[in-house]
Amino acid sequence: MSPWRLAWRNLQRNRGRTGISVLALAVSTTLLVVFHGMVYGLDDLVSRGAVNLGVGEVEVHAKAYGLDQSIYATLPTADAIVERARSRGIDAARRALGGGLLSSGEKSSGVRIWGVDPAAERALGKLPSHLKAGSYLPDTNGNRVVLGSELARILGAKVGDRLALIVQAMDASTSTEMMTVDGVLESAGEQIDGTVAIIDRRDFDALFGTDGKVHEVALSSHFQLPEEQVVAVAKSVAGDAADVQTWRAVLPAVANVVDITRSSAGLFSFVFFAAAGLGLLNTMLMAATERIREYGILKALGATPWRILTDVAREAFLLGSLSACAGGAVGLAAVFALESHGIDLSKFGKLSLSGVGFESVWRAHASADGVLVPVLGMLLVTVAASLYPALKAARLEPVKAIAHV
Amino acid sequence: MRVLFATVLVAFSLASAPHALGAEQAPPARAEPTQADLAAILDYVDDLYSSRSSHTAVTMHVVTEHATRDMGMETWSKGEDRFLVRILTPEKEAGMATLKSGTNVWNYFPKINQVTKLSASLMNAGWMGSHVTNGDIVKHNRMSQSYTYVKSFEGDREGQGVMDLTLDPKPNAAVVWGKVVVVVRRSDRNPVQIRYYDESKALAQTWAFSDIKRLGGRDVPTTIKVVPANKPGEFTELRYRSMELNVALDDALFSQRSLQK
Repeated sequence: MSPWRLAWRNLQRNRGRTGISVLALAVSTTLLVVFHGMVYGLDDLVSRGAVNLGVGEVEVHAKAYGLDQSIYATLPTADAIVERARSRGIDAARRALGGGLLSSGEKSSGVRIWGVDPAAERALGKLPSHLKAGSYLPDTNGNRVVLGSELARILGAKVGDRLALIVQAMDASTSTEMMTVDGVLESAGEQIDGTVAIIDRRDFDALFGTDGKVHEVALSSHFQLPEEQVVAVAKSVAGDAADVQTWRAVLPAVANVVDITRSSAGLFSFVFFAAAGLGLLNTMLMAATERIREYGILKALGATPWRILTDVAREAFLLGSLSACAGGAVGLAAVFALESHGIDLSKFGKLSLSGVGFESVWRAHASADGVLVPVLGMLLVTVAASLYPALKAARLEPVKAIAHV
Repeated sequence: MRVLFATVLVAFSLASAPHALGAEQAPPARAEPTQADLAAILDYVDDLYSSRSSHTAVTMHVVTEHATRDMGMETWSKGEDRFLVRILTPEKEAGMATLKSGTNVWNYFPKINQVTKLSASLMNAGWMGSHVTNGDIVKHNRMSQSYTYVKSFEGDREGQGVMDLTLDPKPNAAVVWGKVVVVVRRSDRNPVQIRYYDESKALAQTWAFSDIKRLGGRDVPTTIKVVPANKPGEFTELRYRSMELNVALDDALFSQRSLQK
C-alpha cells in the first residue's frame, strides 16, 4: 500500500475527530480568506477614495507651491505634462488654485477655489459624478460654481442660487463676480466639503488674471499602471523644477492607515495560524498516542524513524490540504459575493479619513495573495503542527511501545 | 495710535477740528522738551490730517513683487470714526468703496452689488491689495495715550533738524507694535518717518512722509510711502491731490445706503 493511501486510510479511522479537525481548519481558512478580501477591499476603498475624489494617483506642483500655496507659484510645464500623459494613456487635468470669499446674503465663507477643465475632470476621477444635487460644470463656462456639501450648508446655498465671489487677483487688485450654483457635491471628506468651490478654469482666469497659468496637474491611470510609472511620465517632462507626488505623499495620513491595515492583516493571520496550529497539534498528539503500539510494531518490523515521521506528516498534509482547499474555496466564494454586493455602511453616516471621503459601500477585493496566503499558510501550519507528534512517534523504542497500554 | 494711517487710508479721510494742540499750528520747538511737549508732538502727528470733517482726493501707487497698480480715490470723513473711501480708477475697481463707522468696516463691490462687513480674521489683510491693512483703518489708538515715550535723538540728520521719539507700549495697551520710533522735523513737527517694530523689536514697517505742501490750509506732507520690512522692493505710496477741511457733510453720507451709490 502506498504511503499516501495509508495516510488517507489513517485519517478515516476516526472520522469524527478528522471531521471536526477539517471543519475547524476549513472555517479558520475561510475566515482568513474573507478577512484578507475585506482588508484589501478597505485598502481599495481608502486609496480609490483618495485617488478618485480629487487627488489623482499623482499630483504635480511647482516646487515653490508647497511652501505657502501662493497663487504666483504656477507650473510652467503643465501643458507638456498633460500632453505626454495622454499620449501614454494616462488621464490628466490642469487646475488653477486660489482663495477667495464667497457670500450668500449675510452669510459668507473663505473658500479654496479650484479652476478646472470640466471635461478633463470627468475623465480623471469620480468627483464630477459625486453630486448631492444639481450637475457638475458644463463644458462651456458661464460663471457657475460647484460647492462642497458643508460649504453649501454654511452659505445656505442651493442649486440655482447666485453667490458673490470676491478674490484678490494676481495683480493684487480686488476682483468680483456673481456665480450661479451649478451643483453641490456629495460628502467627499472635510478637505473638500467645507472649503472647496469649483469653477471653470476660464472663469478663474477672468477673475484672477492667471491668463491660462495653472498650479496643479493631477494624473490618473485608473490603477492600470503602477504609480511609479505615472510618476516617471510626469517627471520626464517636469524634471526637477516640479514636485511630483503620489497620492500617498499628498495624503500621508491616509497612506499610513492603508499600511497599518495591511500590517494588521498580517498580525491577525499570525494569531489565527497559531490558534489553528495549537489545536491541530493537540489532535495529532492524541492520534499519535492512540497508535503507540502500532508504531512499536511497525518499528519492530523494520520501519525506520523517517518512515514513521513521514507517515504522520503525510497524514497532517492530507488533513491540511483538505481543510485549506475547502476553506479557501468557501472563502473565495464569500469574497466574490462580498465583492459583488458589498456592505452598506451609509447607516454609519459620512465616511472619511484625514479629510478624504469614501464611498459608503465596503466591498471585498478578490486577489491571488488574499487566497494563497491563508491556504498555503494553513497547510504549512498543519504540517508544522504534526512534526512534534511525528518526532515523538519516530523516536519510540519498539519494545516499550508494544508494551504501552 | 490711530496711527497715521487710520490716518492714511483714512487719512485720506480723517478729520477733526483744530485739535487740541492742533494741526493748525505746530508747537514751537524748545531746547529741551518736556513730557507734555512730547505728547503734544505725538498728538500733532496723530491729528495731522484731521479736522471736524474732510474731503480729499488721493492716489495710491502699489508696488509688489508681482505687479504695480495705481488707484485714484475720493475720501470723506467726519469726526473721529466715520469715513468713506470710494475708488475712482482704474475702471475695473471703480465704484468699490469702504465705509468705516465706529468700529465696523464694510466694503462695497458694485459689480456684484454686495456689501460685506469686514471680519476680524481679515484685519491683517491688505486693504485693496495695498500694504495698508484693514486693521490700520480700524484702529483708534492715540500714540500719546497707548505708549510711553522719550526723546531719543535731537539734531541734524541728512541736512535736516529732526527729533526722534521712541515709544514703548503701555502694559495694557491694545496695540500690536512692540516699539515705534517717530521722527519729526524740529522746525514744524511734521513727521518725516515712523518706524514700526514687532514684539521682538524687529522692524516691521516704515512710513516715510515727504512733499510738504499747503493743503486744506495746512502745511502737511502730501506723500506717504509705506514700506514693509519683510518684502524688499515693495511699497505703497499715497499722494494727496487735494484736501478740504471742515466741509459740511451729511451724516447720511456715512451709511451703507450711501456706500452703494
